[in-house]
Amino acid sequence: MDPASILRASAVGGPWVGAVVAAATRRQARPIGFVAASVSVLLSAFLLHATHGPDSVGAALMLLFSCLSVVAMGVVPRRDCTPSMIAGVLFILGSTLLAYSTQNLLVLLAGWILTTIPFFLPQLFRVETWRPRIGLLLSSIALALAVGLIGVSGHPMSIDRLRDQGPGGIAVFALLVAAVIFRKGICPAHAWVADAAEGGAAIPTALLLNGHFGALLVAKLIMPLFPHSARDFFPLLSYLALATALYVAIRALTENSPRRLLAYLALSQSACILAGLESQTPEGMTGAFVHWFVVTVSTMGLFGIVRLLEVRFGENLTASRHLGFAEHAPRLAVFFVLFGLALVGLPGTLSFCSLDLLIHGTLMSHAQTGLLLPIAIAMNAVSMFRLFTRLFLGKRRTGFTVMADALPRERWVLAAAVLFVVLGGLFPKAIVALAPIDASASRQLTQQR
Amino acid sequence: MDLWQSMVVFVVLAPGLVFAALGLLWMLGWAPSERTVAALTGGTFLASLVALACIVGRLAFTGLPSVTVTYGNWFAVYDYRFPLVLMADRLSLPFIGLTVTLAGLIGKFSATYLHRERGFLRFFLLLHLFAFGSLLAFAAGSFDLLVGGWEMVGITSVLLIAFFQHRPAPVENGLRVFAVYRACDIGLLVAVFAMHHWAGTASFAEGLPQLDGAESAAACLLLLLAAAGKAAQVPFSGWLPRAMEGPTPSSAIFYGAISIHAGAYLLLRVQPLLAQSKLAETIVILIGVVTAIHGTIVGRASADAKTSLAYASLTQVGVVFVEIGLGWKSIAIAHIVGHATVRTLQFLRAPSMLHDDHQLHSAIGSELSAAVNNPEDLLPERVQLWLYRWALDRGHLDTILDRFVVYPLVRLSKFFSRLDRLGLNEPLKQQEKIAQVMPTAAGRRSA
Repeated sequence: MDPASILRASAVGGPWVGAVVAAATRRQARPIGFVAASVSVLLSAFLLHATHGPDSVGAALMLLFSCLSVVAMGVVPRRDCTPSMIAGVLFILGSTLLAYSTQNLLVLLAGWILTTIPFFLPQLFRVETWRPRIGLLLSSIALALAVGLIGVSGHPMSIDRLRDQGPGGIAVFALLVAAVIFRKGICPAHAWVADAAEGGAAIPTALLLNGHFGALLVAKLIMPLFPHSARDFFPLLSYLALATALYVAIRALTENSPRRLLAYLALSQSACILAGLESQTPEGMTGAFVHWFVVTVSTMGLFGIVRLLEVRFGENLTASRHLGFAEHAPRLAVFFVLFGLALVGLPGTLSFCSLDLLIHGTLMSHAQTGLLLPIAIAMNAVSMFRLFTRLFLGKRRTGFTVMADALPRERWVLAAAVLFVVLGGLFPKAIVALAPIDASASRQLTQQR
Repeated sequence: MDLWQSMVVFVVLAPGLVFAALGLLWMLGWAPSERTVAALTGGTFLASLVALACIVGRLAFTGLPSVTVTYGNWFAVYDYRFPLVLMADRLSLPFIGLTVTLAGLIGKFSATYLHRERGFLRFFLLLHLFAFGSLLAFAAGSFDLLVGGWEMVGITSVLLIAFFQHRPAPVENGLRVFAVYRACDIGLLVAVFAMHHWAGTASFAEGLPQLDGAESAAACLLLLLAAAGKAAQVPFSGWLPRAMEGPTPSSAIFYGAISIHAGAYLLLRVQPLLAQSKLAETIVILIGVVTAIHGTIVGRASADAKTSLAYASLTQVGVVFVEIGLGWKSIAIAHIVGHATVRTLQFLRAPSMLHDDHQLHSAIGSELSAAVNNPEDLLPERVQLWLYRWALDRGHLDTILDRFVVYPLVRLSKFFSRLDRLGLNEPLKQQEKIAQVMPTAAGRRSA
């Protein structure tokens, strides 16, 4: 076993062990969670340092998701910080890292399914409504059928060995696309995401969404395995992604539930990632990869802050009128507006760079998509700013005796996340360099079109 | 990098660094005193002004066209590059000079005007961010970089409109202005992408991108959309009176001086491209003429001093657009500099208007005579009444925007909302209803 494999196995296994310990001891859940997630951060960082080429992408995503889990541990309010919550979060972390780290179809399928399991268990994060369960179930079934068909047709399970072979033909391709549509919440299968965000546990749901398994499947499986089908059918998926970005951006304009609104914004911005990947241009794919980082960090910060507000000020937050929380929690307000504007392309943040690349790339491959995406992003910006103004500005509420702003623990993790999007925006080359793009091949593909 | 290039970088970066330092320290729990903030602001802009004077002297004495600083690429993917180029040339220097001088003066004025005001530090933070954004936009050597500064100016503008955050009206107006800015900025973004696509670059440090007739017309019209939005030209003028909700010093620098002229700067920057397209030139002139007429009519029916001044600004910017459309570049620059200076003074004196009036009365020892004849008195009474109603509703521009853009979007959004609820379980539906109508726990307690 080479050192990279040991690092991978340890990074995946660490959180699972942490989950078991947290669930078994039922004490000191947050420190256990912090330690387990931090171990994954360290190991993923070592792995990123040790790997090169396409392998480094998986390591970069592992590092990103591990850091995200550390942020999650920091912003989980004390009320929610139960052993089962921490165990569930660590379980999602381990399963997501498993999917990121593997080059085997069966292991990928296992990671895919395992991340969804906490959302079916009533003891963990099960949502009352049926749509999230059905969405996740259908995506898992579609992927399982695709993997099954590949296995039945006698192909190996190694993704590297299946490259360019189009295993299983159009049926497998269609099933993989269906898995992407259901998991990523592409129109018309988008509704489950908002339901999950509204009715479920905010932070685990944010982690589930920020795994971006739909984009992972496109980048890891569909594009390398089915280059020809992808070239022929990707415009369709690209238009679906564009439709999703526009549909949920318009939908968000009148939404008053903060969680649902955030879910729509996350969906719309995630659809941009898919549109960038499907452009198959070096700029679009790099932009999609960088935007993946931005959306992940920003939406986690936003969901975390909304949950903190719910815990401090009541569960029924609404954007139908001004709540004036900035008077009580000015630092949370600043974090919120920074994350929010970073999500929609504020200059000086990483998303300015990612959206610049992404829109330029999509404009080159599908002009309509490239022209309409900025409109969706502009509408998202308006919705985000509306949510900020309604939650944080307006008349000060006077019914409180003690109103905590960001606690030191929350302040440090949120500040670290903000620094990431800001410093990433000022010095984007480091993250752009991680993008796994074979530029000349992509350019040839674009020219062939 | 030589001394002159370092000075250009210093002038642009100084307010940004002050913003970052003050903001970071505040986030970590330190609240600087008003005196510290005011001194830091004054010192920063004074140092910038000295550096700028040196650059101007250098260009004047050597006859060089510009001082250019190239930092390579901010990022690059394959053959797509985002160049980091700063440039102080004969077009950007007047704008940079205006920004540095007026931001310093506004800082000095605001230290007294906003004394003990809640949000004193917030105002100064935003002033520095605005100055940084403006300087970045004016000193940018590429459209890519210009977009960055342009967006920062927009965001700070909106946050300052909502400065008095405890009142709902400024907050809602800020949101409206933000929406108009974002919609119009799409033009700028798409124009930049189009330039990359057609010419392979959006840099203008060594001349504008080479575009053919149709391409330059398309690029100019897209840029015109952004310029018209930022300069509140017709049909986007509706946001200007809403922006008057902000503190007077910010109104002075944004809508009397810098932000309102940013659109004109953009058009001046692309004037050679504009000259290639008769269509774009004609539209620029048309928009300028219509805005000037609109501004002067609506301004006459405005009931408050700031709105009246804002519409007077609009009229002048409309005239500047006409000058740009006609190719009178130098006249436009001189007009902008003169107008920005006078208008800033008028805005800053607006809160003391009654005091000034009383002083004038005391000085002359009697009442002032009534105003001279107005040209509208020459019109028939029916036309006067019609114009008055039209002016009171500010040219119906907001109504038109609401009817043809906002309401259809809201209706579509609500239709999508109904579609999304088709399969929703009852508990969540109930929860949504609660979120729509019920006050929060905070609200209940306060009630």
